[in-house]
Amino acid sequence: MQKNALNILLADDDEDDRLFFKDAFEEIKIQTKVQFVHDGMQLMDHLMDPENKLPDILFLDLNMPKKTGKECLIEIKKTDRLKNIIIAIYSTSSSEEDIEDTFVQGANIYIKKPSDFNTLKKIINEVVTVNWHYHTSGLNRDNFLLRLK
Amino acid sequence: MKWIPNFNSSNSLRVIFVIAVFILLFLSSIAYKHNQDLNESSKLAMHTYEINLQLERLMSAIKDAETGQRGYIITRNNRFLSPYLYSRDKVNASFVTLKKLTVDNAVQQKNLENLFKLIIQRFVSFENCLKYSDPKTYDKRKLDNHMFGGRILMENIRFQVDKMNDIERKYLKKRLEIYDQEISLSPVFSISLFLTALVFILLAYRQISRDFQRLKVFNKRLLISSGLMDESEIIGKFSTWQWDLDANKIDYSDNQFRLLGVPPNSFVPVKETFLDFVHSDDKQEVSKSMDAIIEKKNLPFIYYKIVRPNNEIRYFKSTGKLLTDQQGSKILLGINFDITDEHLLNIELQERNKELEKSNKELASFNHVASHDLQEPLRKIQTFISRVSEADKAVMSESGRDYISKIAVSAKRMRVLIDDLLLFSRTNTTKKEFIKSNLNELLQNAESELTEVIHEKKAIINASKLPKLEVIPYQIEQLFINLIGNSLKYNRAGVAPEISIESEKVVSTDYPDLLEQSVKKFYKITFRDNGMGFDPQFKETIFILFQRLHSKTDYPGTGIGLAICKKIVENHKGHILADSTQNVGSTFTVFLPE
Repeated sequence: MQKNALNILLADDDEDDRLFFKDAFEEIKIQTKVQFVHDGMQLMDHLMDPENKLPDILFLDLNMPKKTGKECLIEIKKTDRLKNIIIAIYSTSSSEEDIEDTFVQGANIYIKKPSDFNTLKKIINEVVTVNWHYHTSGLNRDNFLLRLK
Repeated sequence: MKWIPNFNSSNSLRVIFVIAVFILLFLSSIAYKHNQDLNESSKLAMHTYEINLQLERLMSAIKDAETGQRGYIITRNNRFLSPYLYSRDKVNASFVTLKKLTVDNAVQQKNLENLFKLIIQRFVSFENCLKYSDPKTYDKRKLDNHMFGGRILMENIRFQVDKMNDIERKYLKKRLEIYDQEISLSPVFSISLFLTALVFILLAYRQISRDFQRLKVFNKRLLISSGLMDESEIIGKFSTWQWDLDANKIDYSDNQFRLLGVPPNSFVPVKETFLDFVHSDDKQEVSKSMDAIIEKKNLPFIYYKIVRPNNEIRYFKSTGKLLTDQQGSKILLGINFDITDEHLLNIELQERNKELEKSNKELASFNHVASHDLQEPLRKIQTFISRVSEADKAVMSESGRDYISKIAVSAKRMRVLIDDLLLFSRTNTTKKEFIKSNLNELLQNAESELTEVIHEKKAIINASKLPKLEVIPYQIEQLFINLIGNSLKYNRAGVAPEISIESEKVVSTDYPDLLEQSVKKFYKITFRDNGMGFDPQFKETIFILFQRLHSKTDYPGTGIGLAICKKIVENHKGHILADSTQNVGSTFTVFLPE
């Protein structure tokens, strides 16, 4: 394991999506270590276990069994050890309500799952290479939802 | 309080009566005095007459004595001497009477004393005459002297008597004159006073009869209005009750009894009677608010149930107010409404509301299904197709490649459909926040959203100044996008699209069939293009959901765009119209309330 490899964690119950995600990361050739969890409970267990290294970026699906993405988000933001993890919401939904809620709860960016593999690669590339410190300080309602130029 | 007719005359009536009574009292006291005076004067006349009489008696007694003595002196017969002897007693008796009669008059007393002295001297002269006429002691000269002296004394006595009579007469005359003066004043005065009193009483009578007429009229009106009140209570299903707090007397209107399910006046209400009818659930509440009304003077509406004697439950709404009338007595006025029908209707409405809420929730969950669950597999189909690499395609048969591309087109179309449907349903379900917005800015946003197509088609958009209106900004932006997008899409082949947007203020009365008449002024915004246009017979159907005029291979679309436009305009209580001439252009007119 390389020292400065990015630690990525995807929480998504959909096997196909995890597959697309894994393939996309392999193709963009950025040094990353991608891990997967299948539902909200597993995500929280993984994060709470001190043995596990905390991810640099957490991609969080909203619609998950056992514990939804929103519930996980709230819990993470309440936990001191976890609250600084960069959280990218990664969801099929583009409803105003979901975007609004997750913004208020402190997620860093909202990604609507694309329907094209090349777009997915672009998105992941964008998210991974963004200067998060800079992005977070200028975060507002308008740039919260990721739009590719 | 206004509802008591004001009889102002009662005070002036009182004044008139008091004046009349005083005048009459004054008149009767004058009459009494007059009577008194008459009495006095007659007594006085009697008094004078009596004195006169007594003095005459006195005189005649002396004359009797004189005559007797003379007879005796001439005849020397003792029989003549007896009147002389009696006269002395008579004189004395008269004298005593006179003394009594003149007891209050010092002058007359003095005169009487002088008279008495003269009479004594006269009698002394009588004695001397008798003495010197007696043959034994006869002395002619002395007798002559005494006889003559007696004559003079007699004249003096007569003078004195006349003087006394005179004084009495003068006194009487003076007194009568004084009375006459007093009495002569009163007839004119008293008659005028009497007439005044009469006038006052007549005035009062007139006022009373007028008041009586007015009272009759008011009484009739009161009867009518109380009858009407009874009727309206029955019709309006309400009732009134009054509680006179000072007399602690409670009155129910007839309908109050009826609302409680008993015949009118079937019992005498006291404070607790009403509570007997109140449902046990609400008893405490009602009792509390009845007490509170006395403190707060006002009762907000309370809602409760009552139980009729036949166990029927009715729903009541009540209010009340503490009134203080002109006399300062406190009356609690209460009004009860039987709202059972409304209440039941309300319950029904609530149930329907719940059903509506339920179906709304279902709609929302349908939305969710559409947005999530339907999109998910579609997205995967599209992603998997995008995963079929060029290398994969190269080893496929031609028809295989064709199928793949057809799958991709269909999937894309399905995505557009789902997105548009979602947009359409969100136009209605998402919250509608009206914000004062500059429509020029919204138009700019719409244009920038469409920049690519505008560039591609080399379109020209001319917009006049648009107003600032209270709108749902993102919806109006969507409206502009759809309308301009439509014009861009259906341009005439080989002609660059030209869209002109104009706005003017109109009054709703000019468009009675189209516009909400409760709003006076509207802005009419027209979008005119030089596109291919459409057959005007479709100018209404084009706003219907999924209604399309062109084949989807020529012009991709879902038939939702204009339906969304219509919905957005309806959300703003406006109206949208379309008109067109084929191969010349179309015009869309949007009315938005000011």
